[in-house]
Amino acid sequence: MTAPGWLRWAWLAPAAFIVAFLLVPLISLLARVVTPGTLNYLVDPLPWRVAGLATAQALTSTALALIIGLPMANVLTRYRFPGRRWALALATVPFVLPTVVVALAFRALLGSSLGSGFVIVILAHAYLNMAVVVRVIGARWSTIDARLEVAARTLGATRWTAFRTVTLPALGPSIASAAAIVFVFSFTSLGIILLLGDSSTRTLEALVLRQTSILLDFNGAAVSAAIQAVVVGAVLLWAARQRNAVAGGALRTFRLRRPTGSARWAVAFIVAATLVIVLAPVTSLVWASINSSTGLTSTWWAVLFGAETIDAGSTRIGSPLAAMGRSLTYAVVTGLLAAVVGGLAAISVLAHRLGRAFALATALPLGISAATLGLGTLLAYGRPPVDLRATGLLVPMAHALIAVPLVVAVATPTLRSTDPRLVTVAATLGARPSRAWWTGYGPTLRAVMIAAGGLACAVSLGEFGAASFLARADGPTVPLVIARLLGRPGEASFGVAAAMAVVLVIMTTTLVAAVDRGGRRA
Amino acid sequence: MNARTLECRDLVIGYQSRLHAPFTFTVAAGSVLAVVGPSGCGKSTLLSTIAGITPTLGGHVLIDGIDVTRRPTHERKVAMVFQEPLLFPTMTVRDNVAYGPRRSGMSKADARAKADELLDWVDLADLGHRSIDQLSGGQAQRVSLARALASDPAVLCLDEPFSALDAPLRARLTDDVLGVVQRADIPAVHVTHDPQEAETMAHGGTGGSILSM
Repeated sequence: MTAPGWLRWAWLAPAAFIVAFLLVPLISLLARVVTPGTLNYLVDPLPWRVAGLATAQALTSTALALIIGLPMANVLTRYRFPGRRWALALATVPFVLPTVVVALAFRALLGSSLGSGFVIVILAHAYLNMAVVVRVIGARWSTIDARLEVAARTLGATRWTAFRTVTLPALGPSIASAAAIVFVFSFTSLGIILLLGDSSTRTLEALVLRQTSILLDFNGAAVSAAIQAVVVGAVLLWAARQRNAVAGGALRTFRLRRPTGSARWAVAFIVAATLVIVLAPVTSLVWASINSSTGLTSTWWAVLFGAETIDAGSTRIGSPLAAMGRSLTYAVVTGLLAAVVGGLAAISVLAHRLGRAFALATALPLGISAATLGLGTLLAYGRPPVDLRATGLLVPMAHALIAVPLVVAVATPTLRSTDPRLVTVAATLGARPSRAWWTGYGPTLRAVMIAAGGLACAVSLGEFGAASFLARADGPTVPLVIARLLGRPGEASFGVAAAMAVVLVIMTTTLVAAVDRGGRRA
Repeated sequence: MNARTLECRDLVIGYQSRLHAPFTFTVAAGSVLAVVGPSGCGKSTLLSTIAGITPTLGGHVLIDGIDVTRRPTHERKVAMVFQEPLLFPTMTVRDNVAYGPRRSGMSKADARAKADELLDWVDLADLGHRSIDQLSGGQAQRVSLARALASDPAVLCLDEPFSALDAPLRARLTDDVLGVVQRADIPAVHVTHDPQEAETMAHGGTGGSILSM
């Protein structure tokens, strides 16, 4: 045996983390729901009405994301043209942008020109989630032989019939997967709803926040969170069944095709549309950060860095610079915590005989919405006998829990691709088990941990849902300050919020780009 | 019905630039034109130009005396059998073969009956219900041949259909193809890089010829 003994126990740390910061909060929440008075809350029409509104909104958002994302997936993952990698990276950018930033960007771009909150919320959700469609469906599309459609056409099918009868059924499971993910994100949306929505676009997530922070109705909030968890669970289960319904088979990726004839125009059009769709809101955001009613200005940036102050008004928003420092601190703590916990989890997934079950357990936080997590954490650790609010640890703990599944998803395949025989070779050359293991896996693990930690940092910087429950009123993070500023009237608030959002965009995209590069190198 | 023919007049093939001198030939019903040449010489491009998958750079393609040069692929009735079977992965064997008849407006039941008939032609009558990943390489290629013939094509194009198969299977399928081309009484163009296979295909039936590229 060449495996070091401690490998068998590596699962203990992530297991303890998940029990403490996921299961204990969930049990605290359930304890609130399962009480004799619960029935009264379950017959209350309010959460059900909100669930209906959220379902209509999420279905429409999903349909729009598919309509925009499908042509992009086709062009960006199947055709070869100059700048394809850049265009694909660009199409992914909206997904890594914090939701408050996207909300602000859409307000800057469209203002109140659309009137209805419903339309702007749908557009913002489609914008945020089109990358899911491009990546999930594109990954499958690139494994479908384009010649199948050619074969269909030689048998009498038109282009459209060939697509409908041959390609679309093959894409079916991936479309179901992408649609389920977009539905869940839109159904549990918070930042976009609070900043852009109106009475027609409420979500249970927003209702939970209102019930806990304004109405102080914890039982009602627990019931709303439970209804949401049931809907999310049902949708994810449906998607998993769709995936399993189709027989697998060896998948291979086909070579990218060079577009010819009319396809060249279609590719050019889709790429141009991708550029415009992705960049228009971001450009509006940058413009809003340097523009005022009297023309170009640097005031908002000066306020941001403490050189000037704006009227604090009646709403306490806190210092922007302090919020940036706080967000960065939380992000670093989250990154370290998620890298260590996620790294140990990934090692356990590989090395432990119950690895597969463990992989499933580490994915659990993905199915739990930020509000449910935030509320559960608040109930478990936000009041006596265990009150951790003053320690400032609640936010990074919750962020790390959200980031751990991502870290495991990034780390496991890379570690799996490392040749295990390297460990044996090192052992045959006289290395002790730990040394031999580190010789084989160490270099990959180190690179993956740095990348995954960076990803967790990016998640923490932009996270809004859990932070809105767990951050203290006098210690907001950057996304919370942006939301507070947007809640106040006046162009100064808007300008400073836009400047902060630009900083957040730069920080998150830089981190994600660095992670992407590091990951590819590893 | 008139005897079916394929005629190419001064046909220029290529993507952006010309790949070969213009082609002029006629293939009669029930006979095979075997096209032979090394990899990359444009054999497959010739087939995809006849089928309308690749646009013509010049000249004409006539099927049964009618100029189809400007017609889209699905209106030409040129069925292709490719190097790989390219069976539709989400359909059963029977539905793969019934695909062409369904496109020509046949009811589902009639199309399936026709599929069963064609599967019988290629000795796979009892495999109709199977999923395509349960087929061997040779079976899959025969299903592909049945699928092409079920669409009632005016011309059959075969793009190195045996190159991935072993020698005994290749010999068996060569006989199968020659048999069905004569039985369906349509012109066929068979592309290969193997001169011996070209010889067998061209002269195994009646009125065949070889085109070297």
